[in-house]
Amino acid sequence: MAARARLPLLFPKTLPPLQRQRPAHTEAAAAAAAAKEPAYPPVVPSLTAKSKAARQRQADERVQRIRESPVEEKISLFTRIQRKKFVVYPQTFARNADKWYQHFTKTAYIPGLPERFGPGRRTTTPVAGEESSPAGGAPAPAPAVDGAAFADIRSLKRKAFLYREQEQNVGPFVRNMVAGLTHSVGRFNPLLRLSSLDIAPRVNFYWRRGQRIIPKGHRRGRLEPTRFQIDDEPQCQIRITQQLQQFAPLEASYAADVPEVSFAPDLMPLFRRQYDNHIFTGAKLPDPACYGHTQFHLVPDRYHRDRMARRQQSDQVEVFLRANGLASLFAWTGAQAMYQGFWPHEDVRRPFVSQAVITDGQFFSFFCYQLNTVALSVETDASNPRKNLLWGTESLRLYESVQDGEVVGLDDGVVKLLVQFLMNQP
Amino acid sequence: MSLCCRNFASSARSSAGRHERADRTTSTGSTALYPLYQLGNPQLRIFRPNWFLTLVRPGKEQPPDTVQFRIPMEMTKYDVKNYLEKIYDVPVGAIRTRIQFGSNKKRNHLHQKVKQPDYKVAYVQLAQGQTFTFPDIFPEKELKHEEGSMEEMQEKFMEDEKQRQRLDPRRGGVTEWFGL
Repeated sequence: MAARARLPLLFPKTLPPLQRQRPAHTEAAAAAAAAKEPAYPPVVPSLTAKSKAARQRQADERVQRIRESPVEEKISLFTRIQRKKFVVYPQTFARNADKWYQHFTKTAYIPGLPERFGPGRRTTTPVAGEESSPAGGAPAPAPAVDGAAFADIRSLKRKAFLYREQEQNVGPFVRNMVAGLTHSVGRFNPLLRLSSLDIAPRVNFYWRRGQRIIPKGHRRGRLEPTRFQIDDEPQCQIRITQQLQQFAPLEASYAADVPEVSFAPDLMPLFRRQYDNHIFTGAKLPDPACYGHTQFHLVPDRYHRDRMARRQQSDQVEVFLRANGLASLFAWTGAQAMYQGFWPHEDVRRPFVSQAVITDGQFFSFFCYQLNTVALSVETDASNPRKNLLWGTESLRLYESVQDGEVVGLDDGVVKLLVQFLMNQP
Repeated sequence: MSLCCRNFASSARSSAGRHERADRTTSTGSTALYPLYQLGNPQLRIFRPNWFLTLVRPGKEQPPDTVQFRIPMEMTKYDVKNYLEKIYDVPVGAIRTRIQFGSNKKRNHLHQKVKQPDYKVAYVQLAQGQTFTFPDIFPEKELKHEEGSMEEMQEKFMEDEKQRQRLDPRRGGVTEWFGL
């Protein structure tokens, strides 16, 4: 039949208002569409399928769940699953350990201390004039660095058993000195009056950095993140209620260079174990003194410079001290950041700062650490320009020797640095 | 017959003296017999050790300061350190050793298990910031035939044939199926 037959017999009197129809792409139309309830649920990948998108969605859900939970739950969800991890010892026999540890923790090393502790610098407290008297050997540190007491105690005790010299002789000296100094400097630094001095505390930190392809096993060929754990036990540490001032702005760390090591950590040598993943600053979460001030470490007999000299490894003494300062301070500041709710997917908003003093009784090394980023895992580190910073000195001699109960050649500069470290306040 | 001779020899060796090293496989630097060490004895010094180290290319890539050796089973870490320092003047930082088990899985045409020998591997970390990379002992060589030889003429002939087959480079890879 003719095509005309397809047209309706009766034309409508009024044609549909084609010209007057509203175009679909105005803002008002969009707002109206948004205000309307979506008719269908959002199109997301499946949660249980055997596909990469499903795995990605599972990971995203986990991250979302951790983001929304309170701090204790965040830590427990982050450290829930046990897997094989590298156990990083701050005091290690490995050669060139500081380069490896810098790579694991994304830390740049800056020789020397920040300007705050520069030579001839006085703290801004009104009693700055009295600061020179403690350094000059007046009452405050004199009992602490009292050579007579030191020598007497040593002669009273019998010779220490195998490799326990430091633990028996120098350990108590360091503890007494720290306690005495903290008490005397507490007069000038009100923060120390509310601080907590821990003796032999535990400091633990767990983090992930880098990934590898599993070479063998039923998970062969898949990517696995490398996990690390530090379990440290400093000689003593001071925890405070307020956070210390940052040493350098965050942006200053973008230009710092961190040594890259392309080899697996096994070659360091570093060994893996599987046990509970701990994150601990030295006190539990509800403790008000949750920020760190200063840690004091003892050099054990095994790494004493005399023993290293006998084995012709004197160049490794400084390396050991740097590695010790780096690992201990990274673990402490990282744990402090986790206690405040920052974790790899929620990076720190302000830098966390701590200090450390490592000593073997005669030589003192001072370290300052600024944690700018805790986002070290593969996904979060891809576009992260921030780096952590470590300032450190070479080992400085406190005294030449102790003869007949008298300290010979006491270096005031070292005592002054010690006092400056303790006087550091926000 | 040979079996009982062997037993006789070993028993004779062990009864030679209680203070002599009857076991030949201990670390004495050679396969000679030395008196057993007792407290107060002078330091044992070996002047011509019978041991030989083999420098090998590492299977897995090692850091630049690490050198890999295959050493005799009887050597210890201290032996390797003294060997390298005294004989070759190489400053040694740290040494780690392990024993590689040689497989006993393969079987020969008589279905007997064939053991591949075990060997000891030493990873030596050099001191004083020294580094070492294993050299390339089989470099790729350009095979050039001498002038006027048969092979060279054949090479040239093959080259010419291939050149004739190739299209005009000005066409930029376009085929000649179409066109004028």
